[in-house]
Amino acid sequence: MAVAWIGNRETLVERAAAHAAALLGSSRCPVFSLDTDIHGTRAAIALAERVGAAYDHVDGAALSRETALFTDKGAMTVAPGETRRRADVVVIVGELPKIHHEFVGELAETVPDLSAKNQREIFLVGSSGVSAPPLNKGRKATLLSCGEASLGATLAALRAQCRGRQTSQPVSNFDDFAKALEAAHFPVFLFSGDATEGLALEMLQGLITDLNRTSRASGLHLPASENGWGSALASTWMTGFPLRTGFARGFPEFDPWRYDVARMIAAGEADLHLRISSSIVQPQKKQKKKSRMTMIALAKTQEPVAGAAVTIAIGEAGVDHEAVVYSSRTGSLRSVDARAASELPSAATIIRLVASHVSAKAALPC
Amino acid sequence: MLTKIAGGDIIDPVNGRLGKSDLWIRDDKIVAAPAGGAADRTIDAAGCIVMAGAIDIHSHIGGGNVNTARLLLPEQHAAHQARPATTPLSNAGWSTFQTGCLYAKMGFTTVVEPAMSPGAALHTHLELADIPIIDKATLAILGNDDFLLSMIRDDASSQMIEDYVAWTVASTRALGVKVINAGAAAAFKENVRTFSLDDVVPSYGVSSRKIVKTLQAAVDSLGVPHPLHVHCNNLGSPGSADTAAATIAAAEGLPLHLAHLQFYGYGTEGKRKFSSAAARLAELVNATPEVTIDIGQVMFGQTVTVSSDVMRQFSARGSAHPKKSVIHDGDGNGGGIVPYSYGKDFYGTMQWAIGLELFLLIDDPWRVFFTTDHPNGAPFTAYPALFELLMSREARTEMMAGLSSSAMALSTLAAIDREYTFEEIAIMTRAAPAKLLGLTDRGHLGAGAIADIAVYRRDGSIAKMLGQAAYVFKDGDLVVQDGEITHYRWGKALRLSPSPDKAMVRRLEDYHQQRYGLSLDWFNFPDSAIAREQPFGEVACRM
Repeated sequence: MAVAWIGNRETLVERAAAHAAALLGSSRCPVFSLDTDIHGTRAAIALAERVGAAYDHVDGAALSRETALFTDKGAMTVAPGETRRRADVVVIVGELPKIHHEFVGELAETVPDLSAKNQREIFLVGSSGVSAPPLNKGRKATLLSCGEASLGATLAALRAQCRGRQTSQPVSNFDDFAKALEAAHFPVFLFSGDATEGLALEMLQGLITDLNRTSRASGLHLPASENGWGSALASTWMTGFPLRTGFARGFPEFDPWRYDVARMIAAGEADLHLRISSSIVQPQKKQKKKSRMTMIALAKTQEPVAGAAVTIAIGEAGVDHEAVVYSSRTGSLRSVDARAASELPSAATIIRLVASHVSAKAALPC
Repeated sequence: MLTKIAGGDIIDPVNGRLGKSDLWIRDDKIVAAPAGGAADRTIDAAGCIVMAGAIDIHSHIGGGNVNTARLLLPEQHAAHQARPATTPLSNAGWSTFQTGCLYAKMGFTTVVEPAMSPGAALHTHLELADIPIIDKATLAILGNDDFLLSMIRDDASSQMIEDYVAWTVASTRALGVKVINAGAAAAFKENVRTFSLDDVVPSYGVSSRKIVKTLQAAVDSLGVPHPLHVHCNNLGSPGSADTAAATIAAAEGLPLHLAHLQFYGYGTEGKRKFSSAAARLAELVNATPEVTIDIGQVMFGQTVTVSSDVMRQFSARGSAHPKKSVIHDGDGNGGGIVPYSYGKDFYGTMQWAIGLELFLLIDDPWRVFFTTDHPNGAPFTAYPALFELLMSREARTEMMAGLSSSAMALSTLAAIDREYTFEEIAIMTRAAPAKLLGLTDRGHLGAGAIADIAVYRRDGSIAKMLGQAAYVFKDGDLVVQDGEITHYRWGKALRLSPSPDKAMVRRLEDYHQQRYGLSLDWFNFPDSAIAREQPFGEVACRM
């Protein structure tokens, strides 16, 4: 099975890596988009420093909303384990990514063993059309809604009503919510940047802060992408900054607008795009316009990625090879074994191979 | 390779070597002067002092809370030089890479991260593994976790508690155990807002004192070299000296280490009800030989407080500068990140003076440790200036002139003449930390020790001299020359490896399945997950 291509032609991995390195070396504005495990991220950031690249997550917008909550505002958060064991009121804030639906279902099926209340009430904040993750036995979350109002506006109204203020449009079922809060020992709000705008995330934190004046409450961050949040953590310890950091001037600079890789590509700023996505990538349809941007694709694929100057097949973390990944179930990093070990190399292995061809300098630091 | 460090002033209190002499290294170890004496490499150390590599016992250099602090404050840690460095990522502000480089430049070769949440052990070790050059170690936090509190509540046997502590230390690859405001994080989850040594955690009926004493006994019984590392209750509160005094008294003959005592050196006298209790605490420490302390010195300027004392950090949110913070309720302690700027006002001056009073009034340099509780009192990059203050009364006098006179009027600092000698500095920052942590292979320059060596060129400015080492060797590898990093190497995380009791492992497996709905495998990790060759170094428990 071929595992590397230059254009559409099969080649040796070593040769493809050397060609990728040459392209990186001649690029004036390389950008990386990542969807990979911790060690893949570490290697990619080390390579980014060497070639002066900017890097972002493949779905940078959602992740950026989540990191902005921390960089700009701060937050009150709680661990998922404590949520399961202590939350006697669970509030689902907006629509959560599907990867978290199983955990929400688990919360609905269990009761908090560290709470004297020994039961869990579930609410859902959002517009009237918001859909909740499926709960067990036909159980439904109580909807807190201001009709068609946005999530941010609904949260603002909810916060205002919790402070005893009047709102132009009352939140549905507010009395039930107020009663539940009154009896609650540790309400937890489940949130994600996936479909929630930044101001709504801030409004939610304002509500949590208000509640903590006299009682306890917190928020459980369920990231839009587990790989994305893991990459943000690794980037932060390696450079001081989360994703959307660039090395254009030789040192790390964090700028969530300037180093929005999707924007850089759309604006024609980037001349080379290294896409690292260990999950299976469908070949792209032929582009209508010929792009001047060169693409290098590291992907789990059995054929060259359409439009890529270089394609190198990599394995999927936790499937083809053991890995360290962010787990939203534990709220921290986790070591995972290979579920179906294969000979496909990890992203980190291939990135280091590419880096070894970039210059004669020492090996990457990670 | 045989290396000779020639003609330096050796300062090695452990082996009684003081004065001009040569020091020999063969590969990664210090050796006696070989017969014949033909060195492959000679380092001219004339005009220099030669000490063992320094050891920092309490510096928050990696892990979940530290990383959250980085995330919270991107505006505070831009690159310190706008040019590419010769070593990867070493100019990235407050990165793991910069941390290792900055420590090495000052001659530090081993640093302990004192607060690892057991559930975030893998994250912590991955960060530590990305800190180049130096060796690291970390202490596992216990004392707010449901499993331990339940065992204490249920009068579990001391053997069971020791088994749990041993499992925690082994599975998290820790070098010791820390307890942080024992019971308070659990109480805070039940809306308790203040918590003292004899207060009781709701739902468990267990006092903070009982938790501390239980862990102290378990750590001692297991032969963990480092005594239980205690972050007392009431940190930062006026009157917290009473809590510290009560905790010192609670040592009761068994070893106990109190962290960042400066933050408890506060009395309630004066019109502001905030005064120095340093003299009182120093006297207590002097009279209690089983107690060791580190200072947590405050230096002026912007920093960020990073602590697993979530109750204290929650109460400090109002003083955040800039105005943002993170408060996290974790499975055990959680943590709080609150940025803070220490000003030269009454309170800042008082805190600064209290730290120095403690340094200078505690007689035995073997029992007082040099820390700023990085980054809580100040970033570790303030160490050179702090050395100067300890070694020069003139430097202190000069500094005091620009501080709050009303605070200085309530302090004894101006009347203290003591100046630390280089020998005392070598004890406090080398010999004593090695002894406290059970690291017999370092902290001294005797034959057989690992070749962790710092060479400082004498200078009129102590800060300049100790801030930029002329040469630093790590495991015999020359890593710093003239204050600049010459190349990377990868140190190890030092750990204890007590054998976990199989019955305790089964019990924990059941506990995690029932309470978290997860197998214990979700929290364990193999050494290979760190993805470095030999990421760990083994340290033995006391027999």
